[in-house]
This record gives sequence, C-alpha cells and structure tokens, in this order.
Amino acid sequence: MEKAKGNELTPRGAPKKGALHIAIARKKFVGSQGSLTALRDISLRIRPGEFVCIVGGSGCGKTTLLRILAGLETQYEGSVFLDGRRIAGPDRNRGMVFQEHRLLPWLTVRENVAFGLSRLSPAERSGKVQHYLDLVGLRSFERQYPHQLSGGMSQRVAIARALAGRPEVLLLDEPFASLDALTRIRMQAELLQVWQAERSTVVLVTHDIEEAVYLADQVVVMSPQPGTIRNVLSVDLSRPRERTNHQFNRIRRAVLDELLAHALA
Amino acid sequence: MITAQQDHWLPWKADAAPTLDSRAPAKKSSVNLPDALVGGIVPLAVLFVWEVLARLEMLPPNWLPAPTVVAKTIYEMAAAGDLWKHVGITAARVALGFLLGASGGTLLGALTGYFPVARKLLDPLLQSLRSVPSIAWVPLFLLWLGIEESSKIALISLGAFFPVYLSLSVAMRHVDPKLLEVGQLYRLSSFEMVGRLILPAVLPEYIVGLRSGLGLAWMFVVAAELLGASRGIGYLMVDGQMTGRAAIILGSVLLFAVCGKTTDWMMSAAGAKLLGHRAR
Repeated sequence: MEKAKGNELTPRGAPKKGALHIAIARKKFVGSQGSLTALRDISLRIRPGEFVCIVGGSGCGKTTLLRILAGLETQYEGSVFLDGRRIAGPDRNRGMVFQEHRLLPWLTVRENVAFGLSRLSPAERSGKVQHYLDLVGLRSFERQYPHQLSGGMSQRVAIARALAGRPEVLLLDEPFASLDALTRIRMQAELLQVWQAERSTVVLVTHDIEEAVYLADQVVVMSPQPGTIRNVLSVDLSRPRERTNHQFNRIRRAVLDELLAHALA
Repeated sequence: MITAQQDHWLPWKADAAPTLDSRAPAKKSSVNLPDALVGGIVPLAVLFVWEVLARLEMLPPNWLPAPTVVAKTIYEMAAAGDLWKHVGITAARVALGFLLGASGGTLLGALTGYFPVARKLLDPLLQSLRSVPSIAWVPLFLLWLGIEESSKIALISLGAFFPVYLSLSVAMRHVDPKLLEVGQLYRLSSFEMVGRLILPAVLPEYIVGLRSGLGLAWMFVVAAELLGASRGIGYLMVDGQMTGRAAIILGSVLLFAVCGKTTDWMMSAAGAKLLGHRAR
C-alpha cells in the first residue's frame, strides 16, 4: 500500500480522531443460489481527517466496504477499527449519506436534520440544525418537505443530517451519482468546504474518476470478482483543484489505467 | 399558453395571438371550474324527468313517488322528531361496531405486520376467515348473541375489521427497508423504530384502511338492521316495505348515502390533516 504524503491543504492542526484501520479477509454473501465473495483481502489505513475516495466498476464491492464501515454489515471475516475500537454496528461516531437521499418524507427539512439528535436538549438541537443547514446553504428551506426539494438540495439535507451528529467519519455512497453534471460539480466543491470546516475523516465511494481525483487525498482503486484493492494512489495537488490542469489529468489517467488494466486483463 | 406563444410567432396568426391569450382563461374555466357541475347535469335531468313523470301520474305513486314527495316524507319525519331517533341509533351502532372492529384490526394488523412469527401464526387463519362472506356469520351471531344489539355490533365490527387489519399488516411489512436502515444508523430502539419510522411511514395506508373499514361498517349496519331491528334507518326501510310506502324506503336510502358520505368525508379530512404537507 502506498503511503500518502502530507497534504498542505489538509486542515492545519489535524484532528486526532477518525482513524480507520481496515483488515477484512473475506466478506461473503450467501444466497439461495450459492455464495458470492464480495470482498477479499482488504487492508487499508485511513488517517484522521483524511479524504479518501474509493473507485471501481460495479460489483467491485465498494458499497459493501462502505456498509461495513458504517456497521450495517457485520457478518464478515476480519475486523475494522475506528480509533482502535472494533466496529460492531452503527454508531453516532459515523455518519452516512446514501446514493438516494433517504430523507423521511413526513418530516420537514429541519426535522430531518434533527432526526438523530433526539438526545439533545431542544435548544442545543435547534442550534446544531441551524448550523448545519447554514453550512449546506439551506437555512431558508428548513420548513419545506423533501418532496418540495430538488435532487441536489435533498442530498445536501442528507449531508447535513449525517454531519449534525458530529461524526468522526463521514461515509458517502455515490452521493452525487443521480445529479446532473453541473450540480455535481457544485456539490463537490461544497463537500470540500464542509470537510475543511468539520475536519472529519471522509470516505466517499464513486465510479466517477474525475470526482475521486478532484476530492481525495487518496484514491483507492478496487477491482471486482472478488472485490479487492488494486492500488492506492495519492493525489498531491493543492486545493482547489483545476480539472483541466495537466497534473490533474495525469493522475486521472493513472487511475483509469489501473481500472482498465484489470478490465482488459 | 405554449400554443398561444407559438402562434404568436406564426405571421399568419400574429393578430390572433392576443385574442388567444385573452380567451385562454375563459377556456380554462369552462373546462376546469364546472367539472363538479358537469357531473350534476345527468342526475338533475333524471330527477327532473322523474318528477315530471310522477306528476303526470305516469308512474304509480306507491311504486315510485316523486322526488319532492320523498323529500317531504323525510322532512315530516324530521319535524316529528322520529327521524333523529332512527338516525341516532344507526349512527351509534356504526360508531361502536367500527370502533371495536378497527381496534381489533389495528391490534392484529400491527402484531402481524411487526412480528414475522405472529404473521406466520395468525395471517393464514385470518385470510381464510376473510374469504367467508361476512353475512354468512349472521345465523351464528344470532344464535350466540341474540337478536338484540350485540349481534348487530358483532356483524358491523367484523365488516370494519378486515380492511383495517389488512392495510396495516401489509403496509407495516412493506415499509421501505432503506428508511429502516436510517433508523438503524441512528441506533433507534425497537420502540423508537415503531414510533418514529414505521407508524409515520404506514399512516397513509392505515388511513385508507380505516376509510374502507368505515364504509363497510355502514354497509353492514344496513344488513344488520334489515335482518331485524325495532329502530334505525334499516328498520325504517323494512317498515316502508311492510306498509307499502316507497317514499320511506327511498328516503332511507338517501339517509344512508348522506350519513355514509358525511362520515367518510370527516375521516378523510382528519386523515388529510394528519398527513399534513407530505407527498403521497
């Protein structure tokens, strides 16, 4: 595994929490028609505050890996540690954003963001909700219902909901896949801002190479059958990154080569 | 609007464009606003023809009295105070039967919807009972509970039970697992899972179930009262039949329609309020 070099734009005074140590020997799905090995020999260390993107074609197990990190999948051989503690199930120290926004249709935007904050006092809760709605720029929509929002806005609310619990790790499963190209670019820039403000560890799954190179400190390239890590590439470019820049395209090319090398082999 | 704008750019229609614009709202209202009125044209025409034919004595008055005669009969009963007694007892039967049936349906629907074991144990039995036409239970109810109120209430409860049970049980089983996963992520207890996710998620289907349960309660009160009652709208119908007064029968039909529609409207308004602004 390649070691990531220090990145100047990683927030200064880097956070101490949010270190992931992943060691999965095997993850199998057993169905009525036999079993399928979704993941095999996954070994990865993610440092606190790091932005990691996982890229790969469909069926390479990237979503499964993310669900293991979230604690939604617990049946596998191996273990995953967050700050030295084994992940045994979902917890508030990890926030998750899915490909679909998964907002609750009967709650307003602000109620959705407050969903996981029921243990706080009303005053604390409302302060948090306002803070995160401001962060994703949706303060004025707090009384709307999900069906009144656009796809991009819904996804921003989902991000605010995930962040409101102040997680050490933010997990995102192809969060922008269903958005149009322009909205996606805006959302990527916004996510970077949010990350720099929150300094949490971010693991984002995507099949969009450009997105991965634009966002990540490290790009983890996965290949399918069985899902395994092919390579880990560091992106040593200062932010904000220029998508048309020569260096950017060089790294993009390298990621693509990794993916194609497997696909054509 | 789009056609109007496009027309505007066609030179041979250039002067027609403003007219189109000014005509647009008028056209809209002639299609949209009176939709409810359009639906009333045929019934009103039928009533009119019926009235005329009855007045010309082309219809036997003891067989099909004029609408105005039916209205007058109802009015006279209302004025005498008899009507309210009958409507009241029927409404009370429906209310009590619906309350019992809907409660039972809610309880068993929630049990079978939430616990797979309960569903495996109970659902086959309830489904097979459901395929029995409910009126078929009447002789048994009469034997067990007598001809008085209890057997009527039992029949009405049975009618209200199944739609409520079915809608809740099915809806609870089919709550989007993706939303349940959100609850899992926030580590909701099973209690919170039900209260904060499952119940709000099934509310629209549950309200539909309650509405059809109420509809069936009204249907079954007719059956129960026709089978033997000394008071109630159904009794009025039997009375009208015995004494050969068609106006009373027709008036009772009208009363059932009005009562059923009113309670359904109330239920649906309450449901709309509960569901708020959410998208269905």
